[in-house]
Amino acid sequence: MATQVRPGDLLLGRLTRKAVAAPAAPAEKRGAAALLKAWLPAIVILILLLVLPNFVPSYIQSLVTKMMIFALFGVSMNILWGYGGIPTFGHAAFFGFGGYVCGILIMHGGISNFWVNLLLVMVFTALLGAGLGVPAFRVYGVGASDNPIYFLLVTLAFGELLVRVAISARGLTGGSTGMSGIPYPDLGIPGVSINSASYYFLVLGIVVVCLLVIYRIVNSHYGYALRGIHDNERRMQALGYNTWLYKYTSYIIAGMFGGVAGCLFAYFGGVMIPGTMGMAMTDIVFLIVILGSASVYFGPVIGAIVVVGVEYLASVYVPERWPLIMAIIIVVVIMVIPQGIGVLLLNLWRKVSHGSAA
Amino acid sequence: MSTFTITTLNGVSYAFILFLLAAGFSLTFGVMGVLNLAHGALYVLGAYFGLAVISQLDQFWLGVVVAAAGTGLVGLGIYYFFLRHLYGKVPEQAVLTIGLGYAFANIILWIWGPFAKMGMTPSAFTGVVRVGDLAFPIYRLVIIAIGIIVLVFLWWMQDKTRVGAIIRAGMDNKEMTRSLGINYGVVSTLVFLFGAALAGFAGVLGTPILGAFPSMGDALLLLTLMVVVVGGTGYIQGTMLGALIIGLLDTFGKAYVPSVALFTAYVIFVVVLLVRPSGLIGRKVF
Amino acid sequence: MAALLEVENLSVHFGGLAAVKDVTFSIESGERLVMIGPNGAGKTTLFNLLTGQLRPSGGKVVFKGQDITHKPVFARTQLGMARSFQITSLFPNETVLTNALIALQGTRSGRYRLFGVFLRDKTLQKAARELLESIDLWDKRSEVVSSLAYGETRKLEMGLSLASSPDLLMLDEPSCGLTPTESADITERIRALGKKITVLMISHDMDLAFGVAERIILLHFGEISCEGSCDEIRANQTVKDIYMGSHKASTAGG
Repeated sequence: MATQVRPGDLLLGRLTRKAVAAPAAPAEKRGAAALLKAWLPAIVILILLLVLPNFVPSYIQSLVTKMMIFALFGVSMNILWGYGGIPTFGHAAFFGFGGYVCGILIMHGGISNFWVNLLLVMVFTALLGAGLGVPAFRVYGVGASDNPIYFLLVTLAFGELLVRVAISARGLTGGSTGMSGIPYPDLGIPGVSINSASYYFLVLGIVVVCLLVIYRIVNSHYGYALRGIHDNERRMQALGYNTWLYKYTSYIIAGMFGGVAGCLFAYFGGVMIPGTMGMAMTDIVFLIVILGSASVYFGPVIGAIVVVGVEYLASVYVPERWPLIMAIIIVVVIMVIPQGIGVLLLNLWRKVSHGSAA
Repeated sequence: MSTFTITTLNGVSYAFILFLLAAGFSLTFGVMGVLNLAHGALYVLGAYFGLAVISQLDQFWLGVVVAAAGTGLVGLGIYYFFLRHLYGKVPEQAVLTIGLGYAFANIILWIWGPFAKMGMTPSAFTGVVRVGDLAFPIYRLVIIAIGIIVLVFLWWMQDKTRVGAIIRAGMDNKEMTRSLGINYGVVSTLVFLFGAALAGFAGVLGTPILGAFPSMGDALLLLTLMVVVVGGTGYIQGTMLGALIIGLLDTFGKAYVPSVALFTAYVIFVVVLLVRPSGLIGRKVF
Repeated sequence: MAALLEVENLSVHFGGLAAVKDVTFSIESGERLVMIGPNGAGKTTLFNLLTGQLRPSGGKVVFKGQDITHKPVFARTQLGMARSFQITSLFPNETVLTNALIALQGTRSGRYRLFGVFLRDKTLQKAARELLESIDLWDKRSEVVSSLAYGETRKLEMGLSLASSPDLLMLDEPSCGLTPTESADITERIRALGKKITVLMISHDMDLAFGVAERIILLHFGEISCEGSCDEIRANQTVKDIYMGSHKASTAGG
């Protein structure tokens, strides 16, 4: 029986819904050639992204920057939804909060160093996750397929709540009009200054690193425990796992990466408005994840490309009607291709690579 | 003292608008386990439908009827075309209805423009009732009266009628209810329609007090969620209690301590969540 | 020597109904205790009380000298208790091997590791191989659980509960739904478990019960009706009445 891990599987990720064969024999080490083949798509895409700026106008480069930011946003959310089965409807709260913390630190805190800022954003978003996670998981039944509604509503409420907080705290956040004028990051390296073009590469670097880290996490012992909790929480408890602790910490970890995406977003647009923490933004990230397939690691990346791309086109051709377009996309995805297009692409890739292997 | 009384009246009338709004949500969510996060947007639709009729034809009650019927139909559409096929897939229902909510807001924006509108109190109810040196706006008293009527009606339906019993049975055990030959599908559809109509009803009634602008759906949904979590689902009296708590806290907060106005309600929300997740008068889920 | 498990006056009420009433018994280390009783007697409810899935209304559970009455489920497993489920409870979307790996990881250190590659953990893979070979499922290790035959899932069900190397293994109807051949197979496997494992088992299947038990407890209407060795139980009139469903027995429980 074929038990080889197929090329491309490593990148596109193990399907949590359908089977991908586990490694054949316990300590089988794949040769360098096989490893290269597995990571080939990722390497190709990375190279393409690196040379892209040479071939496209700057507004496209800017668009791709935005796509990468939202890809990270989506993948961070998918830790909870795709792997943990946790329907978090307040993930935008972490995204927007990260962006606001970034902006506030620069504009009011006088912290100009990018790395310090990023670190502090991660710390503060983790604290937010730790704080919100306690009441949120109070309403999460064991095997929440029975009671996902309450957790969903509570996290949704938290997001909207933070929006109201941002609107009120005018001194800090600029109120309902938000903050503006957030400058490009200062890397603290003498002689190096960031502009729109070079920001692209900074985002590329950060996002790639984060995606790799998250990839390791979801394939680690912790990650598999999370998957187990998704599949059968009751059994996991009976097997000795403190399932609450896994769910709680994954909420914090996912929130932290969401905050990183938000921080990058703040620098990108230079602007932060309260809505970035609210229901609309959470809906966007959910769309990104579902459209791209929650069951495939790379899914949200595909989703981000599509959603950000269509949003851009809408802003050019039918400005002001984007919510309608988005609603149409949501309806089509949920009613017609609920498994997402990532799964379809994965199967296509399998056919192609299987064909060439034969 | 007089400020206190006036604030209480304002708080209670606001609470009843919240009650009407949340009752509709509580029905669909608590009863059917179906999540319609476009509920806030339905309120706004109701407000605009109502205002359109009232401003064109100067007929308040006709506006109310059109608002309720219009949003009922929209709700029916949401259920029939989408939610019906997503049974059990709660996050998908959420994503879809949130998207629809924003679509509705966008359509409202498209048709009626971004500026806030204020409803006019119907001529029959303008003016105040004087008690001592206090002046109570008649319209707010009317809202309270209507709210009480609806509360009593729903309470009676819940406890005393066959339909209420069917709904409660369905909440506990859908399969059993079906196997007893009861057409739960029809009941579900009607409940959903009614819940949506209630939202629109609240919307048009609220226009003289809360006004109407296209993006108000989010804030209203948040309020609804807080009412439902604090009060608990499954019992209409829970929704009333939740509405009273949130409504009064919010109103008193705004009147006495405007800078932290919003936060009193939020604090209660989180506290109830930590201490009594099933809500103050809710079916024990947790 | 103190018993491995001591249960004192354990009760649970649902509304007005006492599903388990004043149950007191103990299990010695290495013992084989089987619980029998008609449907609805409260056997699985009692299991759920012992494993922590259900909170008791009264009474005490002491395991290895520790009061575990209010300890959460996972803590009891860490102490050395394990259970299998009557309704098969596996990870349906994962392969047999992954099921075993996850089960084994539950009581080992390293289960919070964020950066190891789980599927390539050599220690776990070795332990999984041993586990799966012992239940004859190593050849099926790459099959997704949802595609296994029912009998195979029941074997895996028991296998997973052995993964934590428990001191007390609680089996809930291990032969549920199995063919006579498969039941005999399970009986043999349970008999082959070493003396280091204490077994508490619920069984409807009398062949399995008598094949494994050193001592039998009969549960009826949530209370212990009688207790004894296999021969004593076989000869006991109350047992016969209850199982034969005689008029006297159904009113005797009260």
